Amino acid sequence: MADTLEITDSPISRDDQPPQSQVQDYIDSTLTAVLAELDSPDGNPAITLKQRYKKGAFFINSDNGALETSDIETQVSYTWPGKDRHEAWKFTVVIRILEAIAQAIESGLVVSKRDIYYNDPACFGSQRVVDMVVDDIAHTIGVDRAALNVEAAAKGLVAGYYRLTTSSEKFLDARFATNDVLIPRAEDIKEIDMSDVKWVLILEKEAVYRRLARSGYHARAAAGKGILVTGKGYPDLSTRAFVRRLLDSSSRGPDTRFYALVDSDPDGMAILSTYKFGSRAHARENNKLNTPELQRLGLCTSDIVSGADSLGDDAFISLTPRDRRKAVAMLKNSPVWAVDGPEPEWRAELQQMLMLNLKAETEILYQREGGLEGWIDRKMAAYVRDR
Amino acid sequence: MSKQYLSWGSADNVHPIDIFSLAVTDKQILSASGASSIQVHSTTDPDFPLAQTIEGAHKVGCHHVVTDGRGLRAVSVGFGGELQIWACRDGTWSKNDAGSGITGSGEVWAVALSENGQFLAGVSQDGHIKVWDLNVSGEQIQDYETKGSFGTCLDMSADGRLIASGHENGSVYIFSTETGRMPFSLSGLVKPVRTVAFSPAGKLLAAAGDSKVIVLFDTSSGEQVANLTGHSAWILSLAWSTTGEYLLSGSFDGKVKVWSIDTKTCVATHSETEKAVWSVKWLPKVGRSEGFATAGANRSIAFYREATGG
Repeated sequence: MADTLEITDSPISRDDQPPQSQVQDYIDSTLTAVLAELDSPDGNPAITLKQRYKKGAFFINSDNGALETSDIETQVSYTWPGKDRHEAWKFTVVIRILEAIAQAIESGLVVSKRDIYYNDPACFGSQRVVDMVVDDIAHTIGVDRAALNVEAAAKGLVAGYYRLTTSSEKFLDARFATNDVLIPRAEDIKEIDMSDVKWVLILEKEAVYRRLARSGYHARAAAGKGILVTGKGYPDLSTRAFVRRLLDSSSRGPDTRFYALVDSDPDGMAILSTYKFGSRAHARENNKLNTPELQRLGLCTSDIVSGADSLGDDAFISLTPRDRRKAVAMLKNSPVWAVDGPEPEWRAELQQMLMLNLKAETEILYQREGGLEGWIDRKMAAYVRDR
Repeated sequence: MSKQYLSWGSADNVHPIDIFSLAVTDKQILSASGASSIQVHSTTDPDFPLAQTIEGAHKVGCHHVVTDGRGLRAVSVGFGGELQIWACRDGTWSKNDAGSGITGSGEVWAVALSENGQFLAGVSQDGHIKVWDLNVSGEQIQDYETKGSFGTCLDMSADGRLIASGHENGSVYIFSTETGRMPFSLSGLVKPVRTVAFSPAGKLLAAAGDSKVIVLFDTSSGEQVANLTGHSAWILSLAWSTTGEYLLSGSFDGKVKVWSIDTKTCVATHSETEKAVWSVKWLPKVGRSEGFATAGANRSIAFYREATGG
């Protein structure tokens, strides 16, 4: 079980944060309008939300290396009682969530999406419904989700050779900590001292992260001191924001490298791309969350095949039909894998997987000479040598 | 006895991404890669100049390209699952609608063309082997079913009577195009098969893949007649010389070998690259000297010629 950094108790001052008053204004005016309509005999209460980008053209902005969209946003209105039960329900959901946000801001507390869901699980139906509406509301107002005083339940973990000062002036020295900690909210970090850090390594797999963190790899890697991060698969916004915060840290040495180690399969490549360029769902925020310096440490098809003898046949798994469809869709639709895109080697990697119909999990490195750590040591050394 | 093949030049960085497939005519070599264009180089000039770039042939990249024996028709398959038919006129290739009526090709992975270019055969990801007649707009005339393992490679004998396919589960199948049947079942390989090739006279079938061994089958009996061992990495591509005396092989570790069928031994090994060699092809004879071309993850095409005494 991970410990939290206990830094979520810092009340956010409304005066210092203009986005907060934007939120307040939006909620006040929306709820007032709805109430006025409800009061009038033939009133027609409605709430309009901007929907986030779903389809349309995506491209890599060459200025900031972020995945962005030229999509025109669509709007959707929910009225009461609406044309059917679904619309009436959706209207109720939005009102309930606006109430929860208003309360959180009023009291100066941060609530999680999970808290909101558990206020009335029967009404919301699923966590996903809450997540979507919260993100749509933030998008409609034009602020970060943090400005709503709503946070996602933290998912990512971090262990590493850094020291951190929170915005409430708490001090945390993670350098010799043996327990792993949940990734802190980027907005709660006042300062990160990572002056001794030579590398940041993002792991797709929690199991791989735990193995490295438990053995203290971040303090004894051949490449020097480092920081280990996992987003447990596809990263949430707070994990991406944290990695970006590390990239932006003023104490970061110019030669600090950012690596990712992901599975050799289409999902691994998509996770890598989410860290480096961003996600389609948050195209508007990608320029604040992407990590342009990120390099792919592995796992490469060529790594697996050339070490085939020592691994045994179990190391190789055929791509599933879903894997193949996903790889082709990535090649077809994403600017990251385009023929004239920013990552020709990633394109080649996906195509090699399709050619050999082969994937492999990071865990196969446990069997390699020198184990996982020896393999990472050698790979990092090769990157430093090559560039 | 060993033979010597000398490096005879190269077309460097022909593609920005791995070259996955080569196809030859008597004057040209076509290369297909993970980029979107197909490149055509002349093989009649020792500088191997670029003759044509077919831009945008396959948006998401191309993994197979084949030509017929006349050098008039080519077929390419893209990663998006699409088939393209190309026709050559006066040395220039253009899109052709001979395959406009082809249906059910979406899952096709590897393809082969008959010598006269009339028949197109393909093996699909679900292990079906299909044949289309390109003289009647690509009407499907055969659909052989195997046990459903991913079809990685395919070849058609020069006389058009046999089709062979190799599969991910190690199976190798031979079909008779006349009877539509499998004359016999082959013992196959244990690991994925990546390449199959008929000898020019159709008497032998060579198959190889992750087991690193080249197996020769007698196509009249189905018996294994030889195992050629020597590669230390997965074998990705095989090609027979025009006389059937030599077999060429390329592997994942960049090694290229020439095997004598007479002695069943390796007579030449080249290792100019450490990166995967996805495709090897013999070139038309110039005088008495035979040559070949190789390409792969180093994105260049390398040419070799047999060293002739004096």
